[in-house]
Amino acid sequence: MEKGIGKDFFVASALMLAMSCASFAGFNSSGAFYSVTSSAGSASTTNIATDISPYSWINNGSWSANGASVSWTNNLQGLNPQTGLGFLNANIVVRNYTSVAQDFTINAGMLGFSTGPFVGSGSIGGQFVNGSGSLGMLTSTGPLWSAGIDGASLNGQLNNALFFAQPYQIVSLGSFNFSNVSIGSIDNSASVNFTFRLSAGGEASFTSAFSFQSVPGPASIALIVLMPLAGSRRRR
Amino acid sequence: MKNTFVLTFVVLSCGVLADTSRADFVEPAFGFSINADGVASNGQACDYGTVSHVGSNQWFFQGFTTHAIGTTLSWAYLVDPDPFITGTFTLSNATASTQAYVVDFTLPISPAMSASTISGQMAGTLTDADGSGSALMTSIGGGPVYTALADDIFVHGLMSNANQSVSTQFGTTSFSGGSFGQGAPLAGPAINSTIAIRFSFNLSAGDSVSFSSIFVANPVPAPGAIALGLLATVFARRSRRRS
Repeated sequence: MEKGIGKDFFVASALMLAMSCASFAGFNSSGAFYSVTSSAGSASTTNIATDISPYSWINNGSWSANGASVSWTNNLQGLNPQTGLGFLNANIVVRNYTSVAQDFTINAGMLGFSTGPFVGSGSIGGQFVNGSGSLGMLTSTGPLWSAGIDGASLNGQLNNALFFAQPYQIVSLGSFNFSNVSIGSIDNSASVNFTFRLSAGGEASFTSAFSFQSVPGPASIALIVLMPLAGSRRRR
Repeated sequence: MKNTFVLTFVVLSCGVLADTSRADFVEPAFGFSINADGVASNGQACDYGTVSHVGSNQWFFQGFTTHAIGTTLSWAYLVDPDPFITGTFTLSNATASTQAYVVDFTLPISPAMSASTISGQMAGTLTDADGSGSALMTSIGGGPVYTALADDIFVHGLMSNANQSVSTQFGTTSFSGGSFGQGAPLAGPAINSTIAIRFSFNLSAGDSVSFSSIFVANPVPAPGAIALGLLATVFARRSRRRS
């Protein structure tokens, strides 16, 4: 009798755990997206996603128009049900070889949905290369980089950025991290956004990461507490 | 007779000019190579992405390749065969173990120079790309991460004994690798055929690194050219005084 109760208990527990820990991972490589908007003009975006595993893929491509270009290599992982972890690493290089400063807005991310709760973490770092014979500038109004869920900003970094670089010199932008920011559920997307102005002849390169990790829900916590109790009852 | 000579001169000049401008619009054979733990691959950058003519003698290459052992390399480089190399590459180690990498970007130069001045700089970022909670980038055997090469011979190194680490999940760290000859270029060697930037480093599993760098070489005018310049100035002054 007690053996039967134990078996039922573990079956129910497994179901509860599955329901409690991010119950559905609706991400795949076809949902990987990338967009560029620039004052340099409009152009089509080449964006190729290559599957690495059922949960992870590489997304690379380029955009160029009228003397400006953006290239990227992004490693993405939709929510992996085994680890409860999803992330996107957005690595981009932007070059402005026009004769005037240009504005860029770049979005990278993945479409999908998943039931939370999650905690978000991330980071950004980069370099500014001035490839011109004049003083170079990289600026932003508001955060240069932000991580977002469902199109709403979760965390922003490099607020009102202002970097100068002498001719043919490189400036390190520093590195910025955040962690343990609460996320409810993801209804349609996880993404990062870059918005900045780059002087003529400038190149800006960024490496960034944004992750969302499942948080054990109340049912999972209850399960963790109850399992040792059930084990001790069986031993008795 | 005089008219024939002038006409011949003009035609020959146009030929030279046309030939020069045609040469300017053929992209240089900018190449890359990647060696990961002894497994090498290489190619012309234009065959792995795009190349754009962006200035009188400048070319912009961007591309992407996947190395056999499970490494991705992407780049965006501006080059001038006159010559300089500047740009950024990002490398991700998608293997399950730390790898030793040597990555070269090589540019044929034109014209050759009997003596040169050189300058360069590098900076980079390291990211815990797989969320393991740590990332590590170090020099190979304590040597420089950045090496400027002329005709495949060492001319300057930066970031010896590098030891950069990240200890937070999905964290990033930025580093400045230093510079040389900026503001006051250093004396360099004669350069006959190529300049190159080599990056040599160990990178932990699942992580990525990005390097931005510059290497510039300028010819030092030969004594004959300096004398010619001085004479031209003297003649110009004399002719101004006469008029």
